[in-house]
Amino acid sequence: MSEPLAGAREIVDDLVGDRAAEWDRTGLIPDDVLRTLSARGLLCAGVPEASGGLGASSAANGEFTAFVGSRCSSLRSVMTSQGMAAWTIQRLGSAQQHAEYLPKLAGGQLAAVAFSEPEAGSDLSAMTTTIEQDDDTVVVRGQKVWTTAAHYADMIVVVGRYGSGAAAVVVPASAPGVTVTRVAQPSGCRAAGHANVTLDEVRLPATAVLGGGQPLMLLVTTALAYGRISVAWGCVGILRACLDAARGHARTRTQFGKRLADHQLVARHLANLLTSEQIATRVCEHASRCWDQGSPEMVVATVLAKQVGAVQAAQGAATAVQVLGSAAAHEGHVVERAYRDAKLMELIEGSTEICELILADHAVSMPAT
Amino acid sequence: MSMDQAVTAEATEQAITAFVSERVKAEVPADQDLFGSGLVSSMFAMELVVHLEQAFSVQILGDDLKRDNFRTIAAMTALVVRLRGGEKPADV
Repeated sequence: MSEPLAGAREIVDDLVGDRAAEWDRTGLIPDDVLRTLSARGLLCAGVPEASGGLGASSAANGEFTAFVGSRCSSLRSVMTSQGMAAWTIQRLGSAQQHAEYLPKLAGGQLAAVAFSEPEAGSDLSAMTTTIEQDDDTVVVRGQKVWTTAAHYADMIVVVGRYGSGAAAVVVPASAPGVTVTRVAQPSGCRAAGHANVTLDEVRLPATAVLGGGQPLMLLVTTALAYGRISVAWGCVGILRACLDAARGHARTRTQFGKRLADHQLVARHLANLLTSEQIATRVCEHASRCWDQGSPEMVVATVLAKQVGAVQAAQGAATAVQVLGSAAAHEGHVVERAYRDAKLMELIEGSTEICELILADHAVSMPAT
Repeated sequence: MSMDQAVTAEATEQAITAFVSERVKAEVPADQDLFGSGLVSSMFAMELVVHLEQAFSVQILGDDLKRDNFRTIAAMTALVVRLRGGEKPADV
């Protein structure tokens, strides 16, 4: 791991310890864990040093994201939200806004990004939240759902309609008119603080508006790009945790007079898990290389990484459940959590089907080789 | 516009035209509305942003991400020339 993230894994292991199952059960990550990681810049390690961040490359941040994901997908999910908020501010914000917000995100505060609405899930072009200019203020009205990490967030980056296009606006969670209501017992990443956010005539200074006038879907695609690469690496982490648990079990558990690993049908599961982990890792590495090189291929490579990562993680977690059998068939076991968390990864940041549509569109339009 | 800047603008337009035409597999006139004609998806729009940043060593942030700056090859050319405005062309 490159220098900006030296020691980061030890910090995470120290903070998480063996508590991920408990956080999953209670649906809460302790505030001091999130604040400590935020204060060290670790929840959005890609923020440039000039903005108070660690300036990690996508490749290094990706490997770190996978590490966190192998320990606790809820925590990794909070990281994804914080990183996506920082990336959106980096991309859409002015220099003044970078200076205003980024040091906070790398310095102890927490953030979420709100896209989905009751009638705008996969079809984000249907979103109806509005950001309306009123002299030197703006008024935000709308209803956002399933906003990851909103329960913990100090600031919520809300995407909405703005004039004839779109904008994002940084909404303090404490602003009058903001109501954050937790999603009750989500099926996966249970401690990631998913919440519905109601914005009732929220008035903010116009300086809180990031960008403005971009086509809605370009803005959404831009913001989601970070979420997708982060989720993809998180899925690599899920696969690594599953592979570790499955091979550990298969090495030590004996049935019919021999180790599970020596039963061919179990051995195939192990081979498939290793294959899944390697496939997801390589596709993520490629996408991160595109990010680090500033290649336009990053756009499609990121969707591909998310698609491959989520599908492989869902399959791999199911395989690990099968290998572990009753040993993992109880709430909170690393493989049982992975099974629920991985499936959720096929639904968020562009469902498997939406990613397939994007990739199909690319296949149709790409130049001949 | 000086002679050097004019040459740079022309070369920029040619380079952007080559990239867009290659991607959409069609001849694209510099003044064709890429969004209106349905040639450009949001994914491709983002590819365009990243491509321009990489190919011309510029950063396109905030207000510069407006649709109007990407509507046509001519608009993208103007954006790149403006963002490079402070610099001397590399070949002088």
